[in-house]
Amino acid sequence: MTANATDAPRTGVVGHRVGVRRPPRTLVTAAVVTAALFALPGGYVVWRVMGGSGSPLALLASRRTLEPLWRTIQLAVLVSTSTAVLGTGLAWLTTRTDLPLRRLWRIVVPLPLVYPSFVGAAAFISGLAPGGIVHDLVGYLGVDLTTRLHGLTGSWLVLTLFTYPYVYLPVAARLTALPGAFEENARLLGDGPRRVFARVVLPQIWSSIAAGSLLVFLYTVSDFGAVHLMRFETLTQTIFRTRLFDRDRSFTLALLLLVLALLVVAAERTVSRSGRRRGAGLTALGDRRSLTVPLGRWAAPALAATTSVVGLALVAPAVSLADWGLFGFLRARHGGMPLRLDWHDVLGPTWNTVWISVLTALVATVVVLPVAYLVARHRSRLGEVVNAVVVAGFAIPGLVVALSMIFWTMHASPFEFLIGSMPVLVFAYVVHFGAQAMRTAQVAVGTVPRRMDDAARLLGAGRLRRLATVDLPLMAPGLAAGAGLVMLSTMKELPATLLASPIGFRTLTTQIWNTYEALFLPETAILAMVLLCISAVLTWLLVVRRSEHLR
Amino acid sequence: MNDTTPRRPRRRLAAMPTAILLVLGLGASTTACGGDPESLTVYSGRSEKLISPILEAFTADTGIALDVRYGSSNDLALLLAEEGDKSPADVFLSRSPGPAGFLDDLGMLAGIDDDVLDRVADGDHSPDGTWVGFAGRGRVLVYNIDEVDAADLPDSVFDLTRPEYQGRVAVPGSNSSFQDWFTLFRLRNGDAVAIAWLDDMVANGSRFYPKNGAIVEAVGRNEIQFGLVNHYYNFQKVASNGDDQRSANHGFAPGDDGGLMIIATAAVIDSSGEKDAANQLLAHLLSDEQQTYLTNKVYEYPLALGVEPADALPPAPTYRVGAVDIDDIAAEFKRTMEIIEASGVLDQ
Repeated sequence: MTANATDAPRTGVVGHRVGVRRPPRTLVTAAVVTAALFALPGGYVVWRVMGGSGSPLALLASRRTLEPLWRTIQLAVLVSTSTAVLGTGLAWLTTRTDLPLRRLWRIVVPLPLVYPSFVGAAAFISGLAPGGIVHDLVGYLGVDLTTRLHGLTGSWLVLTLFTYPYVYLPVAARLTALPGAFEENARLLGDGPRRVFARVVLPQIWSSIAAGSLLVFLYTVSDFGAVHLMRFETLTQTIFRTRLFDRDRSFTLALLLLVLALLVVAAERTVSRSGRRRGAGLTALGDRRSLTVPLGRWAAPALAATTSVVGLALVAPAVSLADWGLFGFLRARHGGMPLRLDWHDVLGPTWNTVWISVLTALVATVVVLPVAYLVARHRSRLGEVVNAVVVAGFAIPGLVVALSMIFWTMHASPFEFLIGSMPVLVFAYVVHFGAQAMRTAQVAVGTVPRRMDDAARLLGAGRLRRLATVDLPLMAPGLAAGAGLVMLSTMKELPATLLASPIGFRTLTTQIWNTYEALFLPETAILAMVLLCISAVLTWLLVVRRSEHLR
Repeated sequence: MNDTTPRRPRRRLAAMPTAILLVLGLGASTTACGGDPESLTVYSGRSEKLISPILEAFTADTGIALDVRYGSSNDLALLLAEEGDKSPADVFLSRSPGPAGFLDDLGMLAGIDDDVLDRVADGDHSPDGTWVGFAGRGRVLVYNIDEVDAADLPDSVFDLTRPEYQGRVAVPGSNSSFQDWFTLFRLRNGDAVAIAWLDDMVANGSRFYPKNGAIVEAVGRNEIQFGLVNHYYNFQKVASNGDDQRSANHGFAPGDDGGLMIIATAAVIDSSGEKDAANQLLAHLLSDEQQTYLTNKVYEYPLALGVEPADALPPAPTYRVGAVDIDDIAAEFKRTMEIIEASGVLDQ
């Protein structure tokens, strides 16, 4: 990355804005290469649309396109708004207050992200349906859940519950890095907690909220599993439905999705830049103890709210899964059909899931860091373009990303031998999920005070040394949050794993899908529970603990 | 499960840098096995849980190892289309004829040996012999046994537009088996009849569900009383849940349009350098032994001539998908999708 040890010349490098230096050439080169690589799926889509036989414009203007487009936008706006509120609220409660069981919450609150969309939604639906365990439990309490979840409401609810961690993780990381001194001063000057939050905290975490909501928006437009089960026809659903027999339409809609994503990315940059002007940029310097707001009489309602979100998003599907799994055990015990699952089906895939998701998270974080520096420190226009390319790519469905990898490796003859190999799979993951590390990395770079970097420079520290001793320790919580998102997403990725992996490579998610397709629900449930458990362990080891040692 | 997979040495998290090197090194080694005459590469759209015992038996019988990529049939067909003649695949197994037909249209399938094709009835392989069916699932009406009296069950799929079925029938409009069925239904009865039937179903308040499995579950818990599905799902549910599963299959009257046989197909990829071994695998799928396994353990209809369906299965539907010569599969499926979308059934 920034491996160039020689320092940038000091004369004439101060840009037109004070404190913003022209980026070193290594950084620019790295960013351009990153952009080119991340543009591969989009380039594939454009290539296919141009090679198609129909007229893309006529298709775009038709009712059959506009209706799913409108539904997609509705859903994505709703979900990103509700997750912004939910994720921010939970982040504030778990990092800034004396909420009971805080440490437990910090581990379990991000976990709903790991449910593969198709299983999560299926478990959710089956739990709430008549005969499902959640339905029966609340039935005892006298609540009759007769409404069938589907359509916009169902998709909105399920996606909100499974994607709020995209907001929660970056915001919690930002709050952890934020010094408590400012809040303390505001308190001393007589502001109540609500005013402190609105005037001091919110401007500071604004860009993290925007970054997280953007990821939610892009995830929502590219999700297939949840909207499919909820019978809500979004653009991605149409893309899947037409992928084999109407490829022109499928690719044209994928292009439309990409354009939509680019527009939203541009909008988010504008929003978070305006946030920066409104006085953000308090940095992680100085007193690292953060303020703890006593909840007082609000402790019980706050605990109830946190419990019910985690209950609905994490426990309800888990209970449904446990119900399925237990049913399988009992069935086998009572002489029914035995469980069609042995250790061999669980151990190998579990290990594969662990190492490939951790590896992908590391690679993705390293790859996006130069771009994050360009954008956050050097305010470079090139950086903005690269950022847009990387982040918008998240809206491209995983299937299309996988096909594009095959396409490009086929057409770049020196790399043909790589088809069906691990590097291509990891590359596909990184291209697909790099966006999740990108915005959190930018926020992390922004939290490193220029003064410290300058001081280290004056003391003669080279760029690598400054990165290792000044920047990285300060950025750790933010980077870990982004890496955590990539890790959890990789764990549950399905289409690229099925199509672009070396033949015979199994992850827990491919096994979950295998059993689910054959309607072996007890086996599906057991595998999903394993996935949930290892994601909890990894989240604690790699994300929560990373930010806690700083406290 | 797949014992041919090389086991990777176990490492701890701390050894991550080593793992990176390992991964980069692995790239070269995994792709080198394509030309090995001792192994075949199979892309399987049939679920691993259902088919892997049959594939393992092949390796045990012949000593030919199988490298299998599992996925959805449609996705694997798209993958094959991207890979073109450089694809490592020798054999493609698909849940239904559609994806095989898609590859046939691209000229990617080789002609199958006559002695393999002769194992099945003429209607169970493509007219030009590029794919062959090896297992069948019947389109049936699943119903809730507590709510519906077996004596009142309809003889014909056309009956479902009557008032007594108002709001009580689930239709998997976006499901590929349903689209297979509807394409054949349309080609046999003409577009006008097919469109009128679907419009009447919509007007009758039939509800859309995305998957066969979801319908069988919903019918089992009496969320809805009837559903148009493949017979397979209810058998799996009953096998798992026993008497707790409150749904059963009903086959339409013999010869009725509702009861098509959807067949899983096998095909040999034209670019394969191992066509003999590939045909050997197809013959294995259609052997008496494996066909008997399929019907007794997986509850599907055997397609090899002379092998009887398991006693528990309803009478096999007589209409066969391969009996219809479809000139342009992609165009016909596209038309099917347009009609299904225009009917509004997906919004029900």
